[in-house]
Amino acid sequence: MERSWHWRVGLIVAVALFSLWELVPSWFYFRLPPDERSGERYERSVPRWAPDSSRHLNLGLDLQGGILLSMGVDVDRAVKAKVARRADEVGEHLKEKGVAFTGVAPAAGGLRIAVTTTAPAEVEKATLDFYGAELYSPGGAPAGQVLFAFKDQVLRDFKAKAVEQAEKTIRNRVDKWGVSEPDIKRKADNQIQIQLPGFKDPEKAKDLLGRTAQLEFKICDDENASLDALRTQVPACPSGRDGLTLPLPEGGCWTVENVELPGGGARQATLLAAGKRPELEALVAAKAAPLLDPARNAVGVGEVTVGEEGFRQTYYRSYLLRAKTELTGDYIADARASVDNSGPGSGRPVVVFTMSPDGARLMEKLTTENLHRRMATVLDDKVETAPYIQGRISGNGQISLGSNRSYDEMFQEANAIALVLKAGALPAPVTITEERTVGATLGPELVRKGTLAALVGLGAVLGFMLLYYRGSGLVADVALVLNGLLVLAIMSMIGSTLTLPGIAGFVLTLGMAVDANVLINERIREEMRGGRTVKQSVQQGYDKVFWTIVDAHVTTLVAAVVLMQYGSGPVRGFAVTLSIGLVASLFTSIVVTRAIMEYLTRHDSARLSV
Amino acid sequence: MQFKTFDILPHGTTIDFVGKRRIAVVLSLIANLTILAWSIGHGLNFGVDFAGGTEMEVKFDRALDPGDIRRSVEALGFKDASVQTYGPVGEHSFLIRVGRIALMSQADVTRVVDAVKARFPVSSWAFDPESGDKIDFQFGGAVADRDLLAAVEGAGVKVREVREEAGLTAGSRSFAVITQGIREKVEHDLAQRFGDARPEVRRVEYVGPAVGRELRNQGFKAILYAMALIVVYVGLRFDFRFSPGVIIALLHDAVVTLGYFAFSGREFNLTSIAVILTVVGYSVNDTVVVYDRIRENQGKFKGRALTDLVNLSINEVLGRTFLTSFATALSLVGLLVFGVGTIFDFASAMAVGIISGTYSTWFIAAPMTIWLEERAARRSAARPAAAASR
Repeated sequence: MERSWHWRVGLIVAVALFSLWELVPSWFYFRLPPDERSGERYERSVPRWAPDSSRHLNLGLDLQGGILLSMGVDVDRAVKAKVARRADEVGEHLKEKGVAFTGVAPAAGGLRIAVTTTAPAEVEKATLDFYGAELYSPGGAPAGQVLFAFKDQVLRDFKAKAVEQAEKTIRNRVDKWGVSEPDIKRKADNQIQIQLPGFKDPEKAKDLLGRTAQLEFKICDDENASLDALRTQVPACPSGRDGLTLPLPEGGCWTVENVELPGGGARQATLLAAGKRPELEALVAAKAAPLLDPARNAVGVGEVTVGEEGFRQTYYRSYLLRAKTELTGDYIADARASVDNSGPGSGRPVVVFTMSPDGARLMEKLTTENLHRRMATVLDDKVETAPYIQGRISGNGQISLGSNRSYDEMFQEANAIALVLKAGALPAPVTITEERTVGATLGPELVRKGTLAALVGLGAVLGFMLLYYRGSGLVADVALVLNGLLVLAIMSMIGSTLTLPGIAGFVLTLGMAVDANVLINERIREEMRGGRTVKQSVQQGYDKVFWTIVDAHVTTLVAAVVLMQYGSGPVRGFAVTLSIGLVASLFTSIVVTRAIMEYLTRHDSARLSV
Repeated sequence: MQFKTFDILPHGTTIDFVGKRRIAVVLSLIANLTILAWSIGHGLNFGVDFAGGTEMEVKFDRALDPGDIRRSVEALGFKDASVQTYGPVGEHSFLIRVGRIALMSQADVTRVVDAVKARFPVSSWAFDPESGDKIDFQFGGAVADRDLLAAVEGAGVKVREVREEAGLTAGSRSFAVITQGIREKVEHDLAQRFGDARPEVRRVEYVGPAVGRELRNQGFKAILYAMALIVVYVGLRFDFRFSPGVIIALLHDAVVTLGYFAFSGREFNLTSIAVILTVVGYSVNDTVVVYDRIRENQGKFKGRALTDLVNLSINEVLGRTFLTSFATALSLVGLLVFGVGTIFDFASAMAVGIISGTYSTWFIAAPMTIWLEERAARRSAARPAAAASR
């Protein structure tokens, strides 16, 4: 035997062993019932010598059940909102500069800013001096008005940011749910695609994702005593010396907190508390809301964590807020986690944020007017913190995380909040443009049928090769089985996803892989008919069809790669499986079968059933 | 040396493929044009992927008449509902498809907006008929979401959610009113009417009409790109003289595969595009085998007429062209037996494409080269003649 033959056999054995080794995690993964696959039991079941436990075959949404959503970001609305904000700011700026004007509002379909004034020249100068980088004066304004238009680049920027921030927000929320292996990507046309495998509740997903992320600053209405009436309508919370006795009774209860009033003095404000957020929300809706004027007040919900590490308990409490959103996260320029270095909370992790120049002005106004009141930071409808405004805040502020958890945990949370603040709370509503839900019962059934179909197809091809080519058919069959293993191993290795069309693709590649061996064997027959020895025929057969086989694989691969670019979800899974299958088939049909055939025909007098 | 093999097709055949090319081309042309005319005239049965709309797979406990289900869905106001049985009969599964309609008609919208305007200071509103389930309102003053919801439902439109959004200007409030989706409506209705048959919604697909159009255009574009790339590759590897034959054969196979969907009335969706792309990539394999042999024989038998060469080459590789296609088709057997819905269609259409690919190799792609050669020969023959007459 030639020396190169030994090398090739070594390579083949290595590839075969590697394939088996790579498939170990998948083996243990699919042995478990579907619910436990992402859990600890799977992690523990994978032997230590095996590849990393994350390297297993994934089932696509169509096989596992789950939800795929495409959301279109309403960029036009986002831009209009931005323009409206700018208009407010221009107004503030002009007031500051003492320029006379009577009104400022968005105009021309919400893309321009119109200032009504008796001193147009002054307005134009004052505005452009400050906002010249963004705005220009297009002219053509009616008498008594100045028009400002946004530069094209600025508008494009607004749109791009809106999509980018919507994506970040969605990513943040999905991360919070702990869905295993979510897939979120941005697509063309302001679309964001979200895949949540195994997620059971499409309505909840749509609900949570569809909401625009909001960071809002609201003032606590501590002077308002309307909620004191709750004390007669709702059971009181059991409490001891150190505060509430947990767990709270089911359905929620009322309690009080000491609040300082801005004019000096203090009072006992009534609030509601419950062990679970939905319980509290239901209680608020049923009891507190009827006592309030919805135009003036709103009730916020916050989470409270108490107890030492290891004995930690949480409950939810209400905050009585003014309905008006004073400021939104849109004005935040930067945010980061830091450590408080002043006051009683010294040494605790906090979120430090920097307002944009315009936001700083608004924040200064807000904090001046509401000195010594509490300001609630409401993030995604949850009151994160409600500190007293101790002094004027303008450019920089901080959010303290009021609870006694470990430093690390608080720092992590501070980091998470900073991230959300930075991701912005741009009012870019999203609409669902595509939704695909696969129920939990359908998936396993499709897996079963798909596996059966693949096995039948494989059996048919194996049987045919063996019957028709006998000895060399068996060689091709060995290669075909190795091909199947190799495809699954590569898919496990790169963590690709097996979809229902993917199974079809897998079956199809088995059929295509055997094509190469048909070509080779037919050629060998032909050479033998031409009167060559078996050994020569085998050599000639492989040499002459080599390029034909390469060509055949490349053309199909071209189609598969184009499909990979085009398709999404299950169809993409098909393209990936097909591509991997073609590459594997090139190896098994040319290298593997050749090494075996050469071994079988190593003597000049060798026989071969072909 | 003893030699005991059997051949599915005898070797040493001398079938005159080239001679039959005229009949074959005429037949194929008629078939292709019929398919295209049918697809355009009668229309393909586009799935939600491409047509937009909602598709639900619902499984029942006992046998139901699809007509009953359709009538009940239509009674909800979905005039173009289609209901078909899905999968094996014993599973009582149905595919309910509701097509391109806005959930709210323009009349509904007007009624809702009027009702809201009557109660609240509406400064502006917007409705996008593409999505059809959402109205945005801007209010100049304070509005409670509960009151808004009551006002909209009072106008006769079921609401799923009233969502407050950030106001566009200081002091204004902004709400999005989202009406109940098709899924909720149908699911609710089926549970009421056929509650004893325990309907279970197993799968829901909703694709917005704009997205559907986009997917469809991209899909057809992808097929054209793949064809172009393959033609370039074959041209580079062989000879650009072969390219026209390859192009025609590819178009032929793609159209015939499309024909499966056109005539069977089966759903044409993303997976169908995947099949056609795969057929395009695969069917050229046979052609490559024959072209390879033509090239080999051109070197071996210098001076022989091209017609003979092509015929000889096709006949020499007749067995393997057939066997490769047969083996690949064989792998699809399992999918044809156990495949449901799109996967069954995938396998059937693929089988059609494979057969078409083999046919087009024998009767279209290879003989095509002769045509081109002859034309080139006539032209070069005409040139000296023209020169002489001058």
